[in-house]
Amino acid sequence: MRILSVDDSAATRQFIKKAVDVLGFEFLEAADGREGLEILKRENGRIDLILLDRHMPVMDGMAMLEELKADDKLRMIPVTMVTVEVERAEIQRAIACGAKNYLIKPFTQENLIGKILEGLNIAP
Amino acid sequence: MISLEEFHLIRDYIEKHCGIYLSDEKVYLVETRLTALMFEQGCKSFRELYQKAVLDRTHVLRDKIIENITTNETYWFRDLHPFGILDEVLFKHYADEITAGRKDKIRIWCSACSTGQEPYSIAMTFREFMRENHRLRPDHIEITASDISSTVLFIGKMGRYDNLSMSRGLSEEFRDRYFVRGDKVWTIKDEIKQMVKFQKLNLQENFHHLGRQDIVFCRNILIYFSTEFKQNILRRIASLLRPNGYLFLGASESIIMYTQEYEMLRHAMGLYYQIKQNEEKHHAYSVR
Repeated sequence: MRILSVDDSAATRQFIKKAVDVLGFEFLEAADGREGLEILKRENGRIDLILLDRHMPVMDGMAMLEELKADDKLRMIPVTMVTVEVERAEIQRAIACGAKNYLIKPFTQENLIGKILEGLNIAP
Repeated sequence: MISLEEFHLIRDYIEKHCGIYLSDEKVYLVETRLTALMFEQGCKSFRELYQKAVLDRTHVLRDKIIENITTNETYWFRDLHPFGILDEVLFKHYADEITAGRKDKIRIWCSACSTGQEPYSIAMTFREFMRENHRLRPDHIEITASDISSTVLFIGKMGRYDNLSMSRGLSEEFRDRYFVRGDKVWTIKDEIKQMVKFQKLNLQENFHHLGRQDIVFCRNILIYFSTEFKQNILRRIASLLRPNGYLFLGASESIIMYTQEYEMLRHAMGLYYQIKQNEEKHHAYSVR
């Protein structure tokens, strides 16, 4: 399994990487939505799950999600949105736009692994 | 924001299905932990989420709600004393029984095992004990590890831990003896992994299928339960324990207020409990 973390916080990407390592999956990373889309194109869409930060410079998570879902080659990749605060309208919008699930910071490694498994449709 | 009425619906639902009691100041916790789940499930309110959970006969949504509410703080050899008591008192006692032919094996149940650190710590303690007691074999112990969360059991079964998890309570000596170092994570050796059987279990439900146990670890979990459920579970653990069996609690937990069925024992600086002598229990395995 190949997991792409798109997050402007290096510390968050590192935290996510550790959970991905525990699961024994491959980890890829990008610092903003634009970079994330470039990686997806470079990898020809061969990503099994995207963990996508809501708030980022250059291209934020919602913009990237919208581009993903408009692209026939990429729209099937499940997306877990990651954010700091509980913003009902934002969560509702992301789910309506096609995000599979939502992860709210701060989260533990167990929370994260649970969401990754859920995103990949792996029953723990 | 979640309304107080909705919070009470969810609170009562959670207590009914896993025993965890959330006081009114936990409104924020429910809001932060369950809002995403509410929308993921296509619900527009917590009342709708509650109704959907009630109608879900597969219990998938119930388990998701519980999983989002529970916390899984754990580390290796937590509080140290229980493992010292196993090594210096209980394993010694049971080893004598086994070598005298009066006992087949020691049966231990970790009732809230989280990601496996507690049952694996028990297994390592037994392996260390075996180094000095050559007549004992790994099959002289049977460790059952249960938790309500499928995710933590998944991690426990994998037996793979990052450096941060490894640094929490594990000595370098044990790490090097019982783990294999990979590129990115440490993996527990099969000799330890094979000593632990993981299974999903809700303490609210009947657990007599586990069979009689010599020792039960029920640590750092009673604090989340109501007084009534604490009493209920302690009574059912008493029924599960073999005569003279033992119970370990978290370092800050006490059961004196909830049951008279156990006698408190002390070894070094650690406390543990034993079913009172000559009072073999015949309670029904009643559940709420």
